[in-house]
Amino acid sequence: MSVGASGLATVDRALGAETPLPRDNGELVFDEPWQGRALGMGVVALEGTGASWAEFRRHLAAAIAARPPREGESGATAYYAAWLDALEALLAERGLLNHAP
Amino acid sequence: MTHIHDHHHPRPGSAVELRARALETLLAERGLVSTDAIDAVVELYEHDVGPQNGAKVVARAWVDERYRERLLSAANEAIAELGFGGAEGDNMVVVANTPAMHNMVVCTLCSCYPWPVLGLPPSWYKSPPDRARAVSEPGAVLREFGLELGEDVAIRVWDSSAEVRYLVLPMRPRETDGWSENELAAIVTRDCMIGTGVPVARETAIP
Repeated sequence: MSVGASGLATVDRALGAETPLPRDNGELVFDEPWQGRALGMGVVALEGTGASWAEFRRHLAAAIAARPPREGESGATAYYAAWLDALEALLAERGLLNHAP
Repeated sequence: MTHIHDHHHPRPGSAVELRARALETLLAERGLVSTDAIDAVVELYEHDVGPQNGAKVVARAWVDERYRERLLSAANEAIAELGFGGAEGDNMVVVANTPAMHNMVVCTLCSCYPWPVLGLPPSWYKSPPDRARAVSEPGAVLREFGLELGEDVAIRVWDSSAEVRYLVLPMRPRETDGWSENELAAIVTRDCMIGTGVPVARETAIP
C-alpha cells in the first residue's frame, strides 16, 4: 500500500514536535486498543469534516496542557484521553456535537 | 509494527474507553466517520508503517542484481519502481555494505529521515549527544547496539541532511540461499537499513 494523504508520516508531520504521537523506539505505543481506535477516529473525522490538522493540533496542545497525566497513568493513556478531548472540542466548535435535531 | 501492551489488562470498559466508543457511535450516526474507514486507518498504521517498504527494496536488491545496480546508481527511481517514495523519501542515496566496509547513517544537524521507506525513526536518532557520538566513535556506538564488526571492517558514517537521505543496503546473510523475496524482507529491520544492525537469518523465517 502506498502512503496516502492520511499516511502516518503525514500525521506525524502535521502534529509537529510539540504534540507528537507516543512512541517507543520510533514505534507507536498504544496501551489499550481504544487508543489506536481514537487515533484512527481522529484521522477519519478530520477528513470527514474538512477540518485542518493545524486546527486539530491547536486543540490537542490545549487539551494536553489542561489534562496532565494522572497518577499511575501511562503517557499513551494520558495522550489519547487528551486526543479525545481535542477531537470533541474541535467538533463542538464546528457545531457538530449538538444533540441530534 | 506496533506495540500493543496486552499484559496491561485494563478493567473492562474504563471511563475513557466508553467515552471513545460513544464518540465513535455519535460520529458514525452523523455520517462523519464510518467504522470501516477507522478500521482501515488503524490497519494501515499497524501494518503499513515501519521499515517494511525499505525491507522490500533491500530484498529485491538481494535477488535481482540489475535492480541492485539501479538502486545504487539512481535510488529514487529504483525505489519508485516498487511504488514507494515521495515527500521525505526524496533524494535517497543507497550505500552498500561490503565485507570490508560497514555503513551507518546519522543526522548530526536535524533529524532528516526517509519516512516513506523506513517508517518512524528510532528515538536515539533525535538525541543530539547520540548523534554526535555516532560520528566521533561509531565503533563504540555500534557495539552498544550489539553489533561487533571485525577489526578489518572500516566504518563509514553518512550524515543525512535535508538534501540527501541515506539507506544502507546490508549484505545478504549466507544462510538465506533459496529464500523468497518475502522471506528475505522479513529479516531486514530498520536498524539494518541505518547501519546499526545487520540482518540475521532467523530459523523461524525458513520455509
